[in-house]
Amino acid sequence: MQPVIRLEHIFKTYGAGDTEVRALHDVNLIVNAGEYCAIMGPSGSGKSTAMNVIGCLDRPTSGSYYLDGVDVARLSDPELAHIRNRNLGFVFQQFHLLAQLSALENVMLPMVYAGTPYNERKERAAEALTRVGLANRLNNRPNQLSGGQQQRVAIARAIVNRPVLLLADEPTGALDSQTTQEVMNIFSELNASGITVIMVTHEAEVARLSRRIVWFKDGQVVNDHLAPQDLAQMTVTV
Amino acid sequence: MNIFESTKMAVKTLTANKLRSTLTMLGIIIGNASVITMVGVGQGAQRYASEQFESLGPNVLFIIPGSDEARSRSLNIPRTLTLEDAEAITSQVPTVDAVAPQLQAQQPITYSNKRSSSLVVGTVPDFLPVRDFDVEQGRFFTDEDVRRSAQVAALGSDVARKLFEGADPIGQQIRIRNLSFQVIGVMESKGAFLGDNQDDTVFIPLTTMSNRITGDRSPYGREVTFISATARDEASITAAQFQIANLLRLRHKVTIEDDFTIRTQKDALEIVGNVTGALTLMLAAIAGISLFVGGIGIMNIMLVSVRERTHEIGLRKAIGASQQDILVQFMIEAIILSAIGGVIGTGIGTAGVMIVGATTPLKAGISTAAIVLAVSVSGTIGLFFGVFPARQAAKLDPIVALRSA
Repeated sequence: MQPVIRLEHIFKTYGAGDTEVRALHDVNLIVNAGEYCAIMGPSGSGKSTAMNVIGCLDRPTSGSYYLDGVDVARLSDPELAHIRNRNLGFVFQQFHLLAQLSALENVMLPMVYAGTPYNERKERAAEALTRVGLANRLNNRPNQLSGGQQQRVAIARAIVNRPVLLLADEPTGALDSQTTQEVMNIFSELNASGITVIMVTHEAEVARLSRRIVWFKDGQVVNDHLAPQDLAQMTVTV
Repeated sequence: MNIFESTKMAVKTLTANKLRSTLTMLGIIIGNASVITMVGVGQGAQRYASEQFESLGPNVLFIIPGSDEARSRSLNIPRTLTLEDAEAITSQVPTVDAVAPQLQAQQPITYSNKRSSSLVVGTVPDFLPVRDFDVEQGRFFTDEDVRRSAQVAALGSDVARKLFEGADPIGQQIRIRNLSFQVIGVMESKGAFLGDNQDDTVFIPLTTMSNRITGDRSPYGREVTFISATARDEASITAAQFQIANLLRLRHKVTIEDDFTIRTQKDALEIVGNVTGALTLMLAAIAGISLFVGGIGIMNIMLVSVRERTHEIGLRKAIGASQQDILVQFMIEAIILSAIGGVIGTGIGTAGVMIVGATTPLKAGISTAAIVLAVSVSGTIGLFFGVFPARQAAKLDPIVALRSA
């Protein structure tokens, strides 16, 4: 079976000369369909840069990146936008909901860029919100929702275009432990239903809920199949 | 994403920020309103001045002292025309119907304890047909009065009102510069001519004016301020102009430069057209600057808006907006602001033009050209000043946009 993600010899450097920063240094990574993968590592280890490359928000300096079999390194801006829209779903630490839109409208937004007709958009957005347990909050503005609810709206927005890959960047970083649990349950359910999940986190409890941990250090993958139960040992060695 | 969706999104953003949107539009509103009002007023002035000259009748010729050059060289108006010139025109130029020389000066006028400083015009009976004046009450003076230098006066309606306050002035004695004059008539109101109140005027026989009140006797004869004449018909205006010029050159022994100028109504209209056209252009330019400033206001606010909405832009890019989608969205916001501002400004400008038209003698008119110009210019301004901020937004790096605190 085709892997969802195949990173081959990915390098990413910022700046030049003395100020050159090597964010990624020969990263190789394969993530297969249906995996639930946590990316961990100390700050500055390159995990966020890797996430941006995987999310097609950033281009690698060199190396090949196949997303669902497509080499995305050579795609133009509109093509990348199309891929982000159709194949990827993003969840951010700060939710990034648009304040002037209702929960329903926020979830409809990716379908606006996909050109989905209005009625279908509304139907599917309501469906996605129901799936994250917010069927009764469709018309609330973000400021009328709790942090956990806002993050669930953001998850609904990420899955509404039925992406192959859900990317979450510290999705629980702004949440308390109880809502963290709720949000993590949703990720587990989504993964169980077949969506590949990749999540950057620095919380061990969150990472433990995944099935595979990829450990970054100094721009490289130092362990790409760490079992969650071995996490304690890894944390000690860092 | 199609334009309809982009527009809907832009409207949503703009209505979410009503105060800011309104303030941004204000610049365009003021710019547009001022362009339309200023052009309306300028054209109103043009129309007003034209109508004033047209009301003189198409056959009128004005003979004024000095050549254009002489008058532009010196502030002293040369005094080269005489009553005798006027008489010669009457008797020797066949294409001329009537001639009205005028000798005029501002003079103190009193009746019992009331005083007025008004323009005293010494002229002849033909003044009435030439300048289209009429007597409302009593009579105008006659050729006989002129010949005898009679001390009789016909009052402009404002002078009559000021001095007599409703009482019958006919037969009363007024004093002009300490000379006693009998009031024989009151003139019909003529209103203002190019801002000069023609009703604040007293008419007396030209000879009386020249002998007793003001005026010199040059070697040529009795000085007059200027001469108006009417040609027999419209077709003979050019002939009359030519014949009068030849006659005066002969009489004044002109060898090089004419010491007089003859203007027809057409000349006057042309001059007025040039002057008021320049005025309109100047007003439009000033108003245009405010429209431009309004456009800069739009750009300014849009730039602030881009800075403030980096998260939104980053997110939109992450969920599938291309650079073009972002560009279009911000452009549409700018265009909507300037277009709505343009329409509101046009409404206010139109109202302004109507108010000016209703409260002043200026025949201020709503010019379709001005409206089309203002609205299309403001639309273009929205486009022009929207491009830069919109490009900034489109080029924003999504990672930076999402990360910035």
